[in-house]
Amino acid sequence: MRHPHHSLRERVGRSLGLFAGVVLVGSLGSSCNLDPVHRAGVNNLGDEQGGLYPPESAYHRPGEPCALCHSAAGPAGLQFVLAGTIFWGPDRYDRRVNKAYVRIGGPEKTTKCFVTNCNGNFFVRSEDYKNLKFPLLVSVERVIDPGGPGPTAEKSIRVRRMSSHIGREASCATCHILGLRDFGSPGQIRLYDTESEVDTAKPPIPAQCPNVDEPPLTQCPEDRL
Amino acid sequence: MSAIRVAAVMGVVGTAVGLLALAACASSPDENRLTVVITPDFDTYVASVDAYLTRRCGSLDCHGQPGRAYRIYSREGYRLYTIQDGSLVSGQQPTQAEEQRANFQALVSLEPEEMSRLMGRQGENPNQLLFLRKPLKIERHKGGPAMAEDDPGYRCVVAWLQIPVVQGDGTPIPPAQRAKLSTNALRNCATASDFP
Repeated sequence: MRHPHHSLRERVGRSLGLFAGVVLVGSLGSSCNLDPVHRAGVNNLGDEQGGLYPPESAYHRPGEPCALCHSAAGPAGLQFVLAGTIFWGPDRYDRRVNKAYVRIGGPEKTTKCFVTNCNGNFFVRSEDYKNLKFPLLVSVERVIDPGGPGPTAEKSIRVRRMSSHIGREASCATCHILGLRDFGSPGQIRLYDTESEVDTAKPPIPAQCPNVDEPPLTQCPEDRL
Repeated sequence: MSAIRVAAVMGVVGTAVGLLALAACASSPDENRLTVVITPDFDTYVASVDAYLTRRCGSLDCHGQPGRAYRIYSREGYRLYTIQDGSLVSGQQPTQAEEQRANFQALVSLEPEEMSRLMGRQGENPNQLLFLRKPLKIERHKGGPAMAEDDPGYRCVVAWLQIPVVQGDGTPIPPAQRAKLSTNALRNCATASDFP
């Protein structure tokens, strides 16, 4: 037979326990990633390589799928609608294209241009490209001296256009897998198809990144006033 | 615990075990059984339709993926690695004949019975196919609307599906005797293949 006082105490205790459980699960859901596939994808990226780039900066993790973390699922704070890294050649990780113009064209004939930073990274936030709609066409251009003086500064060194479109993926590196060319990936985004072509072209590669003495270029020629 | 409750629990467990045993005794599948599918015209698909579908739907971030029920192989996307010693690379060599055949099979295999019915009624009401319902957004499509009824790609696909492959009484029409795409349909297919 139940004791009436114990019964009340038990019921209050159970209610409090249930409330605490709901709060705990809710806080877990909001602070942790409960999607095991996404969580595994993020975990598989591994730790930041502090010796190669400044961690957790605009220069970090070149060639990795940016929007995996920079998405609504997190864990990064900023969300990207498109982001990637441009390399000079197909194999080498250390030769990346700074100040490349990445032009993105949408289905409604909208075009926006973005500039890579000194580590070859570019990213597009939703506020940078309002009403961005897929599919997208993308081209990449590197000129002699982006933003520089002189009549030949904006003359092209190399232009590449994607042969297909982007259907819906926000991370270039999801398809353009770093250093891999096989049945499932065309390889990292590159301006030359062989490293020997890069050797011959001797493209400009910044000795230091980031370089406080050199202000970053943020606008393509068509966007400059 | 009372004896009645114990008996009830035992009864439930016993029923569950019995059902499992019954399921285990189900007859094994008949490996010799064949389902005949009436397929649309393969030659027209290869000549006029595959280029559009691979271009529109086959990028690596959409149907150019092995996990898709409608999986597409093409130059611009995923490659068939069981041919040419796995040497095909995404974005390199042209789309191969084996890849086109695999694409055709993937398309037909989405809903083989529904495809047979559609061919049986000579392509009438093609939007019954999941293959069209999804890109038209009649049904949920993760990639959003990929076709519209007034775009050349849709018209190309429908013109292909409306090529009669069986007569009204169900007698097959040999491939050599089948109708060809009209000039207008060919133009639509060519325009659509340049997507986007």
